[in-house]
Amino acid sequence: MLDSFFVAAALTLDAPAIIPSSGESFFDWLSNSVFVSFVVSAFIIWFARQATKQLTVVPGPTQNMFEAVVQGLYDLIESIVGSHMVARAFSLLATLFIFILVSNWFALLPGVGSIGWGKDTPAGFEVLTPILRPTTADMNMTLAMACVFMVFWLYWSISEVGIKGFLDHIFGVKGGLTGFMALALIPVFLFVGVIEVVSMAFRPMSLSLRLFGNVFAGETLLSTMITLGKQLNLPDWIAYALSVTIPVPFYFLEILVGLLQATVFLLLCSVYLQLSTSHDEEEGH
Amino acid sequence: MDELLTQFGISGPKFIAQVILFLIVYAVLKKFAFGPIIAVFEERKKAIAESQANAEKIKKQLAEAEIRYQEILRKANSEAQHLIEEARAASEATTQKHLQQAIKDAENIISKARESVDLDRARMVADVKREMIHLVVDTTSKVAGKILTEADQERLAGETTKQLAA
Repeated sequence: MLDSFFVAAALTLDAPAIIPSSGESFFDWLSNSVFVSFVVSAFIIWFARQATKQLTVVPGPTQNMFEAVVQGLYDLIESIVGSHMVARAFSLLATLFIFILVSNWFALLPGVGSIGWGKDTPAGFEVLTPILRPTTADMNMTLAMACVFMVFWLYWSISEVGIKGFLDHIFGVKGGLTGFMALALIPVFLFVGVIEVVSMAFRPMSLSLRLFGNVFAGETLLSTMITLGKQLNLPDWIAYALSVTIPVPFYFLEILVGLLQATVFLLLCSVYLQLSTSHDEEEGH
Repeated sequence: MDELLTQFGISGPKFIAQVILFLIVYAVLKKFAFGPIIAVFEERKKAIAESQANAEKIKKQLAEAEIRYQEILRKANSEAQHLIEEARAASEATTQKHLQQAIKDAENIISKARESVDLDRARMVADVKREMIHLVVDTTSKVAGKILTEADQERLAGETTKQLAA
């Protein structure tokens, strides 16, 4: 058994294609993280259909679980974006949360990052191109979600408050100032507006990098813990035992981090939306 | 910038594939999962609101029924009291009437008995008087030793009658 000891591949920043090819190929886009996105999407859609296939006022176990998640998310999102926006934004924000959560937890399943193409080494079979890669540990995915959200954010913000209102949110004089004071502060708020625009432009990057960084770091941590015995050149049987036992607490940590990162992404998106769609009377400043 | 993107493994086709995948999940969930679930929430919320409204209505009706019941009970009590009073009054009137009738009947009986007694007494007195007159006439005729005439008999009878009356 120890002869076929697997060495999980350390994650690379680039998600390789699951069909290795020597040159340019049509399937280059089908990276291992895109493949995992397929799997995660299929699972989410299948589960949602199971839960909502036969909706009843008195729910069954699956519907009840799905309803609990949806109800919890709905209440949370409504408390942030307000009742006027929740009906429009709920589906996207809830999809973001569920997709990120399932992707993060999918990454903890055995086989993710450790099954794939590789080569025999003196230390055992080393996986170089895993078939399954945590999709949230790929910047393409996190950036895709952030960009999709930002497009919807821009559309909802403008449709909710109008272009004038949107620009006023960014560049307008705040604090209810009028008269000379307002005039005097216009240059200051214009400058603040420019900073705000830069900040908005970086939001997709900050959202995606935060999620990517945390999941990538978690995966690297797990990979390191699994291969710790080998890296310390311990005897095979000790390295094998350590590769099973040491990662356990980190798995629990990653379960928590997966939930936390999904929540952070959801909360930030909700807050961005609330900031740009709140009407003056609701702002309280 | 390109170098940075390449360093992080960002490539156009992969990025677009992820965007499309995510949009598909979003569209499917929105249409087939969140929409129906939220509709169920609304339906349930509506049913709960209706139930609460019904409960309030029933509570109100119950309170009204309680008031009506109390009113009916009070009215029934009042009517029963009134009936009892009337019955008592009627009973007393009947008793008095019967009593008066009984007294009247008794007085009639006593009066008739008294009249009867008086008549009997008068008849007896008359009989005694007649017997006494007859006895006096017979005795006088036997003592005198002669047969008394019709005129003597009438005179004796008259004197006897006078003395008995005295």
